[in-house]
Amino acid sequence: MAEDKRLQWSVTRRDVLLAAAAGLVIGSGLLLVPKRYFRMPQQAQSFVGSVADYQQDIAGVITRGVDELGILPAELKGKRVLLKPNLVETALGAPHINTHPLVLRGAIEAFLRLGAASVMVAEGPGHRRDTLAVYEESGLAAVLTEDRIPFHDLNYISGYDLPNAGRQSSMRTLTFPALFKEVDWIVSVAKMKTHHWAGATLSMKNLFGVMPGIYYGWPKNVLHAAGIQNSILDINATLKPHFAIVDGIVGMEGDGPIMGDPKRVGVLVMGRNLPAVDATCCRIMGIDPYKVSYLERADNWLGPVSEAAIEQRGESIPSVRTNFNLIETIPAHQGLRLA
Amino acid sequence: MTSGSLKRMIREELSRRSLPKGGITDLPGQEFRTDATAWGILAFGAAGEDSENLERHRGRLVQEQDKAGRLCIDQQHPDSYWPTALAILAWQSSASSHEAQNRAIRFLIDTTGLHRPRQWFDAAGHDPLLKGWPWIDGTHSWIEPTALNVLSLKATGHAQHERVLEAIRMILDRQLPHGGWNYGSTYVFGKEHLPMPESTGAALAGLAGMVGQEKVARSLAYLQGETDRLRTPISLGWTLLGLAAWELWPSNGLALVERCLANQSRYGVYDTSALCLLLVGALAGEKGNNVDLLTNSGGRPPALGIS
Repeated sequence: MAEDKRLQWSVTRRDVLLAAAAGLVIGSGLLLVPKRYFRMPQQAQSFVGSVADYQQDIAGVITRGVDELGILPAELKGKRVLLKPNLVETALGAPHINTHPLVLRGAIEAFLRLGAASVMVAEGPGHRRDTLAVYEESGLAAVLTEDRIPFHDLNYISGYDLPNAGRQSSMRTLTFPALFKEVDWIVSVAKMKTHHWAGATLSMKNLFGVMPGIYYGWPKNVLHAAGIQNSILDINATLKPHFAIVDGIVGMEGDGPIMGDPKRVGVLVMGRNLPAVDATCCRIMGIDPYKVSYLERADNWLGPVSEAAIEQRGESIPSVRTNFNLIETIPAHQGLRLA
Repeated sequence: MTSGSLKRMIREELSRRSLPKGGITDLPGQEFRTDATAWGILAFGAAGEDSENLERHRGRLVQEQDKAGRLCIDQQHPDSYWPTALAILAWQSSASSHEAQNRAIRFLIDTTGLHRPRQWFDAAGHDPLLKGWPWIDGTHSWIEPTALNVLSLKATGHAQHERVLEAIRMILDRQLPHGGWNYGSTYVFGKEHLPMPESTGAALAGLAGMVGQEKVARSLAYLQGETDRLRTPISLGWTLLGLAAWELWPSNGLALVERCLANQSRYGVYDTSALCLLLVGALAGEKGNNVDLLTNSGGRPPALGIS
């Protein structure tokens, strides 16, 4: 009895305070642990196809990729597919700014071969208000005119609002092109580039170009004001695109997305899950995807980023990895290099 | 192609895009849009359309104006107020739109983008404190909306207003060292960005009558060097307006416009705003075509007592 009493009194006020302080420290520490560690692990596949140059059989590589990723013919048969390239601006001698038109031609051929009812291309460049000028000067107009594929200017198009499913920025709704209601598959056909604000621009960042300029301004000011990383996550979480193809045949290193240098990698990277595709691209570029803020935050939410969680098809990452030049004076590039 | 045939084309094409109760659609058979209606009024006006028809379309713009005085791309998106400047121009010389025009002017005078002092760590080369106007509420000032707002305030007699004068300084601050403008970014991380014809044309139109030619000589040279290769309506339209504002409209302007119109077989039918911009730019090469609102109008008396 006396021993019980002694035990009872051994818990002093000081102990309680210490325990509370310890709890606070542990709780605060947990807040610092990235959210991804508290999420259920996700799995995805990505495919890396080797393509030495733009004269190769790009449609064949995409068709093989779609097959190896386990996409069934029924998923594409009769579907209306919208391809969203990365058209930013044009400069003489700098075709590596934009998705190469022959990658678009390859994707069109592949999706039609796989049973799609129709394929269209649509883009709303962020820098230039004259979408048709970028369409023409990038060489895409010549290809699509010859192939009789429609092109839509997403900057001047009426929109419809969806609640912001990502809730990373203060934007309550997002305004997407009404055209999207008329398609079944949205495919981000991006360019493999470094980016001086976001670290890397790949299939997820490419979707800035779907937001109509008439509602978001140029250079998509609203998204910049809301935070580039937040906006990338919000757009992807809300739109839920169906597929991604990244043109890494010749990418851009250094001061991307417009002032960088060409970087020959010789790959197309594709998959259903955009964070997984972008994480694979980063590893190919010698960039740690966990150091790219929007990818780290997307991990196990919008898709997996961990190498172990991404089943790699086609070429292995080490066989095609080529480190992209990073500029240490650019804050978004600092510490990105993959060990 | 003559200015007579251009005017006929404007009347015919815009009639196909006009709504019975006023307002103009973005494409034939499509939906009303504010900017398309304002550009349509400007093009109709340049083509000598009868005033009854113009008033019908102006009346539609009045209906679209909100209590704050702004006109947005549609009423569901009140932050997208960049068409306000176009409406001010479209309402010029219309007695029935005078009150609406004054409310819109007051809105522009009282509104600005987001600005802050330059910081030591800023990667961008421009002065972020200089006020112009943004495309969308709550964002930074950029070249084309600022140039459009300057044009509208100049046209209504406010060329010497402090907001216009600061906007002129802002436009000059964003001029690229090698000439021309883009959307409004000069240097980022030490690299000079590239100019764009549409932004350069709009900036030059805004600056006309406000600064000496020596301040924009490189930009004029850039734009003149670009003109022959332009094939699309927004770039060519603003280029023609910008050059006309400095009395440098190119001698082959109409041929370039004809080629651009023919390119609809390649690009599809042009959006109304882009088409009207092109056609107004085409008419800017000839005096007396009523496009001076967009080319040089710095000296008119104020429409409001705003100082």
